[in-house]
Order: sequence, then C-alpha cells, then structure tokens
Amino acid sequence: MPVRFGLTPVFLDSDLALLRDLGGHLEAALGFPVQLVKRRTYQEIVALLLAGQLDAAWICGFPYVRHADRLSLLAVPLHRGRPLYQSYLISDATLGASTIDDLRGHSHAFSDPDSNSGFLVTRWLLAARHERPEGFFNRPFFAYGHRNVLRAVGAGLAESGSVDGYVWETVADREPALTSGTKVIGRSDWHGFPPICCLSENRDGPVARGLAKALTEMAESVSGRRVLKTLQLDGFVPGEPSLYGGIARMAAAVGAPT
Amino acid sequence: MIPPGALDPRRWPLAIRVPLIVAVLVAGLALATGQAVLSRLARDQERHLSELASAFLDGLATAVQPAAARADVWEAFDALDRARTRYGALRPMLSAVLLPDGTVLASAEPRSAPSGTRLPSVIAAQADTAAAAGRPVLDADAATAVLARDLAEGDVPVGRIVAQADIGPLLAERRAVVRTLVLVNGAFALVFAAAGGLLVRHLLAPADLVRRRLTEAARGGRPVPVDETVGIGPEHAALLAAWNQAAAASAEREAMAARLAKEERHAQVGRLAAAMAHEVNNPLGGLITAVDTLSDHGDDPAVRAEALGLLRRGLGDIRNVVRAGLVTWRGTPGTTALAAQDFEDLRLLVRHEVARRGLTLDWQNDLPDQIAVDRTLARQVALNLLLNAAAASPPQGTLRFRAGKLDGGGAVVEVTDAGPGLPPAVEVLLVACDGPPPEDGGLGLWTAVRLARSLGGRIVRLPSDTGTRLVAELPTVSAPMEAIHAL
Repeated sequence: MPVRFGLTPVFLDSDLALLRDLGGHLEAALGFPVQLVKRRTYQEIVALLLAGQLDAAWICGFPYVRHADRLSLLAVPLHRGRPLYQSYLISDATLGASTIDDLRGHSHAFSDPDSNSGFLVTRWLLAARHERPEGFFNRPFFAYGHRNVLRAVGAGLAESGSVDGYVWETVADREPALTSGTKVIGRSDWHGFPPICCLSENRDGPVARGLAKALTEMAESVSGRRVLKTLQLDGFVPGEPSLYGGIARMAAAVGAPT
Repeated sequence: MIPPGALDPRRWPLAIRVPLIVAVLVAGLALATGQAVLSRLARDQERHLSELASAFLDGLATAVQPAAARADVWEAFDALDRARTRYGALRPMLSAVLLPDGTVLASAEPRSAPSGTRLPSVIAAQADTAAAAGRPVLDADAATAVLARDLAEGDVPVGRIVAQADIGPLLAERRAVVRTLVLVNGAFALVFAAAGGLLVRHLLAPADLVRRRLTEAARGGRPVPVDETVGIGPEHAALLAAWNQAAAASAEREAMAARLAKEERHAQVGRLAAAMAHEVNNPLGGLITAVDTLSDHGDDPAVRAEALGLLRRGLGDIRNVVRAGLVTWRGTPGTTALAAQDFEDLRLLVRHEVARRGLTLDWQNDLPDQIAVDRTLARQVALNLLLNAAAASPPQGTLRFRAGKLDGGGAVVEVTDAGPGLPPAVEVLLVACDGPPPEDGGLGLWTAVRLARSLGGRIVRLPSDTGTRLVAELPTVSAPMEAIHAL
C-alpha cells in the first residue's frame, strides 16, 4: 500500500514539477511509494483525512482547529524563518480601494470556505462590522484556490479577493503578471502556517513518524532543498497547536463550528 | 475636334475593336471565375468557421455545463479562460456563459462583459439567431462572427454559451484573393488584348497591303502587284492572288488600250487620207471631161474658155481641198464667200456622171451672190450630196437640185434622188454627233454631214414622193475652225 498524502491549494499545487519533486523526495525518505491525492476543495481532503483514506494531508489551519480533537500536527512549514503567514485582502489595482470598507458592493473572490486566509479572516473582519460576505460584497464566489483568486481579480472577474499572503508573495515572485493587476489593501495578523496533519490515532504510527521525519529533515537533502526552494520555504518544524490559537478565536467569533 | 461618328465603336478599326473585345471577354471570364472562386472561398471559410465553432462549442459546453447548472462563476470563467488559449484558431474576442435569464454568469473578458450584466443587444440578437440556426452568424461590417449553443440538462435549460470570433483575417484573406484575382486577371486581360492586337495586325497585314494598293490605284496610280508570300492561310493567299490577277489584268488592259489608241490614230490618219482622196477625186471627173472637151473642141474659143474656166475652178477646188487639209493640220480657217457660180460649176462637174448613168438633172440655182458661207465647204457639201444622189438613182431617173438663200442668212441646198431611200444604217449618220466613218458605204454623206455641222448647219431628210430628199442648211454663223475637228 502506498503512502497516501493529501494536498490542498494551500500551496501552489498546480505546479506539477513541484508535485513530482515532492513525491520523489517523500518516497526516497520513506522507502515506500507515495500517492499524492488532490481534490478541488479543502473539504474533500479533510473528509478523506478524517475518514482514514489519507495517511496525512497538507491542510489549512482553519480545518485543523475545527478538527483539532481528531487531528495532530506532523509538521509546520517555515516561511521566512517563522511558521507563520498572513491573509491578504486584495483588490483590482484599478479599483482605487485602500480598505475593506472601500470594497462594499464590489464582487469578491474567496479561496475556499474552509480556508483561513482565503475566507475566515475576511469573514471575521466583516463580522466585526456586523456584516456577512453575501451582504457586503456583490456576488461573492469561491475560486477554490489562492492562485485562482489571483486570476479572478487580475482578470476582472472579481474586483477584490481574499488570498493567502504566502501564496501572493510567491506568485508575485514567480509569476508577477498574475499579481500585477492586484493591489494588497490589507494584511491580517500572523497566523500559524497551514500544517501537515494526520489522524491523531495514527500519529505514532510508522508512516506518520516517517512523514514527520521526512518533512522536518527536508532541508538536509538535495531533493528536499529543491522542493523547499520551489516552495520558497525554509523547511518544516514539528509545530505546536498554539500556533493556531488566533484562527480558533476567529472561528469562534464568526460562529464557525470548531 | 473629334470627327462625327468617331466615338461609334462600330466605326473603330478592327485592330482596336478585336483587342477590346478580347479584353472584355477575358475580363468577363475573369469576373465569372472570380465570382465562383470567391463564392467557393466564402463557402469554405464559413464551413471551416462553422466546424471550428462546433468544436469550440462542443468542448466548451462539456466544460461549462456543470458550472452553468450550479451557477458557478469561477468554474465557468476557468473553463472559458482555458478555452480561449486552446482555440486560438477561432480567435475568440468574447466568450461568455449566460444564465437562462440572459445575464452573464461569467465571461472570459470580465471587464467588458462582467458577471451579472447582459450582453449588448446586437450580440444577444445575433446569439439568438446563431443558437436557433446552429451555425455562426457573420457580421461582415464588424468583421465578427457570433456563435451560440444552448445548454440544457434534459428539458431544463441551464444557460447558453455565446462567443464572438474575429473573422477579420478571413475577410482579409478574401480581400487578398480579390486583389490577386483583379491583378492577375487584369494582367491576363491586358496580355491577351495586346496579343490579340498584335495577332489581328499580323492577320490584317496582307489585307491592309491590298487596301493600300487599292487606295493608290483609286488615286490614279497603276495597280502594283503584291508579294503573295506575306499571306497567312488560304484566305490571304486567295486574296493576294486575286489582287495580283486584277493588277495583271489592269496592266494588260492598259497595254491594250495604248495599242488601240495607236491603232486609232493610224485609222484616223487613214480616214483623213481617204477623205482627202475622196474630195480630190470628186472634181477629177469634171476636169477630165474638160480636158476631153479641150482635146475635141479646143479650137472653139467659147468652148475652150468654158473648159479652161472649169479646169481653173476645179483645180481651185482641189487646191482648196488641199488647203483645207492644211488648215486641218495647221488650224487656219477658210475666208472665201459663197457665190451662185460656185454651185453652177457643180452642174458641169456632175454632168459627166449624170450622163454616164442616163439620169435627168433638174437644176435650179437661186443662190444670190456673196453669201457669207465658206464656199469650199459649201461646194463640198453640195457635191457630196449630188454624187451620192446620182449613185443612188436608177437609170432614167431624175436628179433634182435646188439652191437658195436660207431664212435668217446663209444658203440652203436641196438634193432629191430617185433611189429606193436611205438605208437605216446610213440615215443614222444624219443625227450621229460623233462617230467613225461607216465601214460599208456612206462616206460621202458622213463627210457632208460633218462639213455642214462644222459650218454650224445640218442636213435633214424631208418627206418626198420619190427617192430621198436631203436638205443642207448652211447658216452664215459658221465657225470654220470646227472643220478641223469635223474631219
């Protein structure tokens, strides 16, 4: 049985070369075949993970805190030396908006309903204003991927969007044309970087331990460094659940089940 | 100034009309083939566009139908955005997924067709037509084609795909083909017209050569033969050969005419000599009679004097005839007036002939003296009439002579014979203006008529109970010079 590793658009999962390198590194590190499993939504991957269909998955902090009672952290990426990232509120560069209040009545692209940076943060901001996305924005929709949010705003399909700050920065570096038409008008507090989780009941199993070791030692191998370079990450650390306290608080504030 | 009718194409030279006709025919053919080519090109382009559109819509419908059914903006946009790059051959300018209410769910160009809005009415109307017809609707003015496909799940409509493609390159290709056709066919028309012109000139060259020869001949020149080797084909060979035959025949006629003219001159000289001999011979009979009289009765002074006078006057007549001949050639008219004695001499001159034939001469000379009529010519007229009458009368017949003054001035001479009458061929001589002397008799009457006409008079035949009655009217207003031409 191969090791089944779930992926979500918390990172640039559309880069097939990256996926090939990641799979190759994990297989080399584990000594087992690795099957990378992709689905369109976070919900599908989380459901597979919770159902035991996946050995581990790279998910967002928001579903982690929602299922913290059943999920355990295997590793947390380090971005610019810290296991933290921000949510960016972006707008069409031609819109002239500078705050979230300027986005009222404009169309908005969210990433995923289970995304912290791509939905929860903005929903939390609106909740603080006693607003809901469908009332504040005009025709908000989900693009199911941070990169898709950038495409939607850049093409004019949406006049604003909620996106992972790490993804925006990485795409701005690799594909500047995709972000050139967008403008960051708001940055959230620092939150725990989307983690790699497994079922808590499997945390001490050999596969989970092997995956945790392969991830945390990724920077020590050539193939791992190539993957990290592409991901523009510094490495992985074991991580602590407390990193996601802010997300849990926001989820609680908006009434999301945790 | 343009001559009248010069603008009428029917009067233009063949060397211009034929190339023009060739050019018009080639242009017409080019127009027809060009239309066929363009029509075929348009059909092929539209078929190709329709096939591309079908492929585009088929692929897009599969991708966007679930999104349309869920009204998923992003999924619809993602499918449209990816299709735009995958169907570059169709050159989509706009593609959108419409909801059943006609609003845009998503378009590949959200800035020009934002979600939640409606497409421009023109495009929407063209989309209705395209969806109903199942093929693109072309708008040549806008250089666009609108294609549409209705999306449905079962009987439930879920939306419509509408796309607007840029057909500018197709129209540009048609224009390029039109330009190429115009240039190529125009060049062909010019080349064929030029070739036609050269060919026609080449074909018409032999005919033109004959035309120039004809023109020269019509202006009085001699028909000049042409080189038969310049002809092209049997028609030209026949034409040139016919011309050369005509030229040869003309030259032959000219030579014959020259020969005839020369012979005519000889004949005229012969006739002149015959007339001279005739006029000299006329008095000779009387002179011989006078010589005989002198020989027999020369001792009688009266007879001798009469015979000598007769001889003198007869010789004088001969001298005058000779002079008349000289006048004929030198152009000097006679001047001696006519007197009654001049006719009396004639009585003696014809007496021998009258006696020889056993005729009776009824003589009446009432001519007064000094009539302003040339006496020599008048005597010759009278003598010719008398000798003719004597010759025409049967033996024992009566020869009547009358001479008198003509009313209005001049002399009139009437001679009546006892013959059977003038033959029609001889009577014609009385009215013929100019004609050759008769070949078989009548030389005396022909001479008398011409002499009388030269004196300004005439000779007519009057009715008579017996024989022929001829009257010579010799007016005083004669023009002796005409005698030159009379002979």
